Parts: sequence; C-alpha cells; structure tokens
Amino acid sequence: MKRYSYEEKGVKISRREFLGFVGVVSAFLWTGAYTMTDLIVDRTKYIKMRTAGLYQDDEKQAKRQSHNNQSLLNMYKSLNFHPMSPLAEELFHTHYVDRSIL
Amino acid sequence: MKKFKGNERILHHKLPTRLFHWCLVLSFLPAGFTGLILFFRPLGDAGMNLAMQVHIVGGMVLFIACALFFLLCPGRVIAFWREITTWTDDDYAWMKISGGYIHKLLLLEYEVPPMNKLNSGQKMMGVMVLVGTILLILTGLVLYIALPLVPKEIAFYADRIHLVVGIFLFMCIVGGHIPLGIYNWPEFCSMFGDGTINARYAQEHHPLWTKHEIKETK
Repeated sequence: MKRYSYEEKGVKISRREFLGFVGVVSAFLWTGAYTMTDLIVDRTKYIKMRTAGLYQDDEKQAKRQSHNNQSLLNMYKSLNFHPMSPLAEELFHTHYVDRSIL
Repeated sequence: MKKFKGNERILHHKLPTRLFHWCLVLSFLPAGFTGLILFFRPLGDAGMNLAMQVHIVGGMVLFIACALFFLLCPGRVIAFWREITTWTDDDYAWMKISGGYIHKLLLLEYEVPPMNKLNSGQKMMGVMVLVGTILLILTGLVLYIALPLVPKEIAFYADRIHLVVGIFLFMCIVGGHIPLGIYNWPEFCSMFGDGTINARYAQEHHPLWTKHEIKETK
C-alpha cells in the first residue's frame, strides 16, 4: 500500500532538448578525445626523438662504458683513490629508500 | 493553489534518487575527509596509505553511482538540469535576502519568494555539485588510472583541479549543505527515509512545486 497521496508528474523530454543534450555531450567527448589523442601522440613523438638523440650521442662516443669514462678515471687519478675504496664509498654510495608505498 | 485536507504525504524523492543520495553520502564524505588527510599529511606512513586506499574506494563508488544514475535515470538528471538552470525574478529576490535565514536570526521582517522543488540556494549548490563532481571524477580517473599515460601538463592540471575543486566542494557541503539539510528536518527525513514529505510543509516551502508539479496518485 502506498504511503503517499501525491507524486511528481513525469518528466517529458522534447526532441529539441534531446538533440541539444546529445549534441553537447558528443561535442564534449569529441573535443576531449581529440585533445587527449593529440597530446599523447605529441608525447610519444618527443619520447622517440629523445631516444633517437641519446642513441645518436652514444654512437658518437669512442668509449661507451661508464667505468671507462676518461673524466672519471682522471678524477680518481688526480685525487689518488680508486673505485670501491673507502673514500669512494663515503662520497658516492647511496641508500635505497622504498617509495613504492606512499 | 491545491487545498490539502490534512496530513497528506507527497512523494518528494523516489527510491532511485534516495539510493543515489545515500551512495553520494557514503562515498563523497569518506573521500572528502581522506582527501583532507592526504593534503595535510597528519598521519604516519601506514595511516596515509590507509587514507589513500579509502580515498580511492570512495572515488570509485562515487564514479559508479554517478554513471549508473546518469544511465538508468536520465529523466531525473534532465529534471535536475532544468531545475538548476531555470532562474527567475523570484530566485534573484530569494538571493537578495539569502532565503531569509539571516533575517530570521536577527528577528527582522522578511518575505521569502515562492520556490519550486529546489530553492535558489539549492540551485546554486546543484550547479556546483554537478560541475564539481564531474571535474573531480574526470581528474580523479586521470590521476588514478592514466597517470603514466598522460603528458606532464595534463597530470599537473588534473592534480591542481582535483585539489581546488575538492576542497571547495567539501567546504560547501560540510559547511552549507549538511547543516541546512539537518535544519530543514522534514526534508532530511524525506531524503534519508521513505521519500515522502508532509503536504502542508511542502506547500509552505515549495509552493510552486505543489501547485504545478505534483499529481494525485491513482
């Protein structure tokens, strides 16, 4: 049994309202999708360009290993210590911090 | 003007609307509170992690509830849209006296213009909730699902919009909507209870609605 004597009249949607609603939603979705796609395509393009640049730089190098880097070797020589020495450990060693959990 | 005999009841909010509102309460409030926790960072790692989990679940429930309501009850969405976008001289008169709440407190004379189902303050709140919730859901989805996919600019603005709109909407709801909802107790009972409201009360607070928008049940 109903516990009320009155209720709201039904909602009538005119054709003009329906078309307007569909038009606005479509325009919104289309513009959003177009913008997002455009941005993602640009982003992918820049990543590829940067990767290509890095590979190009790498190809130009005579020595491609960090442990053979002449600048580093010169530094070790001039400061009179070597990789894995206590001083190198003190200066360069970093500690792992788990940031995967907030 | 309809003449009500006595204590007739009017169905003010149908079941889908009440269920949707319950979902909003149970999703937006936890998400809002945990959003503040995530912003001010008062807890340790475990507490912050839990707050983030609650925030995500709240956001997901909010998104699913809104999507289902839009898909399953388009009539109510259209009715709500019509209501919040229809502003008349009565609304401007209502805004000028802020609905009479302040006049009542100061014991001043006032006359509240006749309102429809929503008064002008509720209409304003309705616009903010509709636009704000859509923005929160869209930016929240970007931050939760699409963060590795989108460019930095999109991620940055999604984060800022989520933050500003979230805090603003939370303040409006906690500071305005909830206290005023409890103050208008019969409306509170209607929304959280069986959806009906006393006809005389409705006629006093929503004269245009009782005059034009309701019909007798068969």
